[in-house]
Amino acid sequence: MRPILEFTGVTRAYGPRLALDDVHLALKPGELTFLVGPSGAGKTTLLKLINREIRPTRGEVWVDGIAAHTIKASRVSELRRRVGVVFQDYKLLPRLTAKENVALALQVGDLRVSDEQASERATDALEAVGLGDRGSSFPHQLSGGQQQRVALARAVVAQPPLLIADEPTGNLDVDTSWEMMDLFADIAAFGTAVLIATHNVEIVTRLQRRVLTLVEGRLVRDQPAGSTGRMAWLALS
Amino acid sequence: MAGVVVKGRFPRRRLFRVVTANVFRYLFRGAARNWLRNIGGTAPALSSMTLLLLLSGLVGMIGFALHNLEEAQAGQASLLHVYLRDAAPDADVGALWTRLAKDPRVASVMFTSKDDALRQAQSKPGLPQLAAATDYNPFPASLDVRVKNIGDVAAIDNLVRNDIAVDAADPTSYDQGAYQRIQTVLFGFAVAGFAFLGLLGFVAVTVTMNSIRAAIHSRRDEVTIMQLVGAPRWMVRGPFVVEGAITGALAGATAGLLAFGLAMLGMTQGSATFTQFAPGITVSVAAIAGAMVFAAGLGLGSGSSLLSVRRHLES
Repeated sequence: MRPILEFTGVTRAYGPRLALDDVHLALKPGELTFLVGPSGAGKTTLLKLINREIRPTRGEVWVDGIAAHTIKASRVSELRRRVGVVFQDYKLLPRLTAKENVALALQVGDLRVSDEQASERATDALEAVGLGDRGSSFPHQLSGGQQQRVALARAVVAQPPLLIADEPTGNLDVDTSWEMMDLFADIAAFGTAVLIATHNVEIVTRLQRRVLTLVEGRLVRDQPAGSTGRMAWLALS
Repeated sequence: MAGVVVKGRFPRRRLFRVVTANVFRYLFRGAARNWLRNIGGTAPALSSMTLLLLLSGLVGMIGFALHNLEEAQAGQASLLHVYLRDAAPDADVGALWTRLAKDPRVASVMFTSKDDALRQAQSKPGLPQLAAATDYNPFPASLDVRVKNIGDVAAIDNLVRNDIAVDAADPTSYDQGAYQRIQTVLFGFAVAGFAFLGLLGFVAVTVTMNSIRAAIHSRRDEVTIMQLVGAPRWMVRGPFVVEGAITGALAGATAGLLAFGLAMLGMTQGSATFTQFAPGITVSVAAIAGAMVFAAGLGLGSGSSLLSVRRHLES
């Protein structure tokens, strides 16, 4: 099976400092993977490389067959439509309702989607994350957990082959965090590759999924699903 | 006929309608809404651009009037009046006429009698009183010589001024260097006008660029989100360019109307003096100037916002 995401010898430098150093990795469709490591290890840099917010200094980044390391600025939007993104701070447009925020991701990617189709699919996505009845609410009328679920609905509504999340539970309480993780697992079960950068030890150790560990920009460990032990994490923290 | 699938045209038309509606919403409606929301920030740019465009329109019209003035002066300078002695015999006058008419540098020669000269003088402001002050006709008869090349007027003047038929005291209307002086003054006006317009354009572009930069800065989060959800570049940048175009179009429309109104006011208030003060400025010229000011506003607004977006908005 062709990987959805592939890093080959990727290095990213900020001046003399290496944020990522010779990283090799591949993610297959349907795989839920955690990206862990101490602060400043390079997790966010890695996610930004996937979404082509930055370019690698060396190496290749392939996303669903697109060369993110060489793509022209004018074609970056094509790449980003293949990557759903969930942020710690949700990044919802405050002037739009929950449903409009979700529908936006559909229509900016494909102008042929009518308002009715966008509304229908946005409602479906919101129902899938348990917010079918809050479509007309504005972000400030929703709790942090609800906003994060809207962000998740927005990230997956266009059915991208890859979903990346940067500390998606960072602002959520324990129960809401687990609800979010259930949703991520469901999404992966339907074939989307999911990569989650997190500091949440409990979630990583309990879910027993694949874990990539970054330390000082280097990928020091790639533990396959089912082999994630609590002690392995502690050794690195 | 069984088995024939008839394809309706409706879905294609519907698709066109959907795409058009989406483009309109994301490009124009969003821009108009944001422009209205940021009116406080846009107002200084709008008012200064209006003022600058109005000044540009007025400078443009003055430039056009000066250009007409120069053409009129050039026309007058190429017409040499050769004043004849009152007692000059017809034969001498005829001989001079023939000599001039045969000269290849001369386009035409017309005879103006003393009576015609008096009639022409009576139609000019101030001269009827002068004519009425004396018992006899003080205006001389003349040969009005149209010279092909304005540079040859001096040579023709030199040729005729000692002729026996010509008035020795006041032989011709030739004023050496008068036309050159007018040209020098007008050239100075043109240089100053273009420099002024250039300065106004620079200020207008800078002011609009700054207002768009402020709009980009105030909506940085929104822009980032649009980019991250995969909005194409035109969808992110387009609304800012449209906002600049709205500012420019409004400023241009206001300035264009004001410039047109001021020109109309000038024409109606002092119809006699205005045509001398601003020759060639008519209703249609004022309307064209107004339209050009509007087009300049639209172009400056969208162009400068495009520059600002290219400079301040990352992909």
